[in-house]
Amino acid sequence: MRYNRPGLDIASHLLLIVGCALFFLPVWIAFSASTHEMGDLYSNVAPVWIGEAGLDNYRHLLEDPVSSLGADVMTLLFNSMIMALGIALGKIIISVLAAYAIVFFEFRFRKLCFWLIFITLMLPVEVRILPTFKVVADLNMLDSYAGLILPLIASATATFLLRQFYMTIPAELVEAARIDGAGPWRFLKDILLPLSKTNIAALFVIMFIYGWNQYLWPLLITTDADYLTIVVSLKRMLTTGDGLVPWQDVTATTLLAMGPPVLVILFMQRYFIKGLVDSEK
Amino acid sequence: MATLTLKQLKKQYPNGYKALHGIDLDFGEGELIVIVGPSGCGKSTLLRTLAGLEDISEGDLEINGKRVNDLEPAERDIAMVFQNYALYPHMSVFDNMAYGLRNRRTPKDEIQQRVSEAAELLGLTELLDRRPKQLSGGQRQRVAMGRAIVRKPQVFLFDEPLSNLDAKLRVQMRLEIRRLQKRLKVTSVYVTHDQTEAMTLADRLVVMNEGHVEQFGTPMALYDKPASKFVAGFIGSPAMNFLDATLEDASEGSGQDATLALPCGARLALRPETTVIDTVINNTLTLGIRPEHLDVLETDSPLPKGAAELNVQVELVEPLGADTLAYCRLAGQTEPLVVRLDGEHVVAEDQQLRLAITPARAHLFGADGRRLTTCS
Ligand SMILES: Nc1ncnc2c1ncn2[C@@H]1O[C@H](COP(=O)(O)OP(=O)(O)O)[C@@H](O)[C@H]1O
Ligand SMILES: [Mg+2]
Repeated sequence: MRYNRPGLDIASHLLLIVGCALFFLPVWIAFSASTHEMGDLYSNVAPVWIGEAGLDNYRHLLEDPVSSLGADVMTLLFNSMIMALGIALGKIIISVLAAYAIVFFEFRFRKLCFWLIFITLMLPVEVRILPTFKVVADLNMLDSYAGLILPLIASATATFLLRQFYMTIPAELVEAARIDGAGPWRFLKDILLPLSKTNIAALFVIMFIYGWNQYLWPLLITTDADYLTIVVSLKRMLTTGDGLVPWQDVTATTLLAMGPPVLVILFMQRYFIKGLVDSEK
Repeated sequence: MATLTLKQLKKQYPNGYKALHGIDLDFGEGELIVIVGPSGCGKSTLLRTLAGLEDISEGDLEINGKRVNDLEPAERDIAMVFQNYALYPHMSVFDNMAYGLRNRRTPKDEIQQRVSEAAELLGLTELLDRRPKQLSGGQRQRVAMGRAIVRKPQVFLFDEPLSNLDAKLRVQMRLEIRRLQKRLKVTSVYVTHDQTEAMTLADRLVVMNEGHVEQFGTPMALYDKPASKFVAGFIGSPAMNFLDATLEDASEGSGQDATLALPCGARLALRPETTVIDTVINNTLTLGIRPEHLDVLETDSPLPKGAAELNVQVELVEPLGADTLAYCRLAGQTEPLVVRLDGEHVVAEDQQLRLAITPARAHLFGADGRRLTTCS
């Protein structure tokens, strides 16, 4: 929509600026806090400008093990990355295949399969967390990447969204491919995946952030510092027992934790913005 | 080139609906067969069973005398052009045409050669790098045909390929399809609901109705001797006029002759074949006469020998340029009688006309809608 009214233009820009400020301010405060010495933070009012320490806190965090955690932040980032990538990719692979089967193949209990997947949408991880823990423990997957990833790898949401997209693909396209000699795998590879690549990009972003932000599950099954993830350790850095909370480290780690999701969004956005603007159908 | 044989082909959909009730047809090598019929009569179903996209419930389908019921579409060596083109939206025109060949592991340089040949033939050479989205309707249509042509299949199948085009382009593409088909000499089955398209394209025409074949023959044979009232009403534009009529035994005067009495009072001497005459005497029949076969008589000119005269009043005139259509009222008849006059013939609304029906031009249909053979 575009209206030719200058007043409206100014108002909407003001609103946008206020909105941006609201989002940006906490990030800025966290950043400025992360550039101060611990002492500054406890002796002064909350700082609004960059402090003396500069990026030193970051260097320490990335290079040396954090005492309250037993691992350096680099390891934490790496672990979170493995978990988030594993969950996002796993969810996409499984959902693509599940939606493909549900939409394009005739088999007995097809409707039932769909509904079974669909109702799990209503079950959050927390509801099934005890049985899942038991299974993972029995499989000896506590303190392992597999244990972090596998229980979260199926996604009803992604399956459902892909199903909705696949159902918009005209039947003639499927038939044309069949006549052109494309078997089921070829159809998936040559036609369906390229057509749904924008949907998959958007799903990947959502699922990556979902995986990255996992808290309860990694907290439960990892005790070994080698498998600690960054979101879990943020909480742990706050509980220092008797000592003072090292706010400069906590804020620095928080900002580092935000990095990868932001990068993923920036990298993927050209795919899904294109997908929103001109659908290739 | 191939022959195509359908033997008692039946199709029942999984929901129990019977779409085809025993189709027997035989298509020769290189023929362009058009299947025509009203919407919902099973044309697409028939074409899709030929393609292998729907399985055959009963009966046999043979290509070149070999039973292909159980072959996958890709193994039947057919190519199909869909109504909405069904081009792969993410592939270039070249890739759209090459896809089927790649799946068949055709060597690269042969693909290149076949695609450029087809592109040349269809005037697509300049467009090979474009996506379907960047093409006009007519160009997409050509790409869809190109995709069929490059495969050099035994049989082409077309499902209403022109119905998404505007009228002018439709006529142009119709000619082009005919020209291409004659040049490539590939046996083709073409489905349409448009009788003009059907008449102009077909070597032979199949008229379908409610899952049955009503008639199969050359366009002119169907026009001249429609096997049923349905075919008579479907083939020809504007449609044939139907008049209620009763056949009266005229044996007192002229042996086997019978007279057809129309509600308006006109009488026409006819001789249905002797085998049917007894059953139809005094029964209600339908007399069919095409708009172009009603002759207008000048006020004082005599009635041709054997003809019957109809006195009608013009209700509506549709000048089409070359012809003029006059919709006329005939006593005892609810439907208007359509008369095709040549364009120079001036008629005014409300004018009275004298029309002549000659027995040779009259078609007679029994109560069941089948044609009654007459020997006049
Ligand atoms: N998949 C299907 N399941 C059940 N009935 C169908 C199916 N496809 C078509 N039909 C029915 O079969 C009849 C013939 O359809 P179709 O062959 O598409 O007609 P046409 O192409 O002549 O318009 C229609 O009455 C239609 O409702
Ligand atoms: Mg159809």
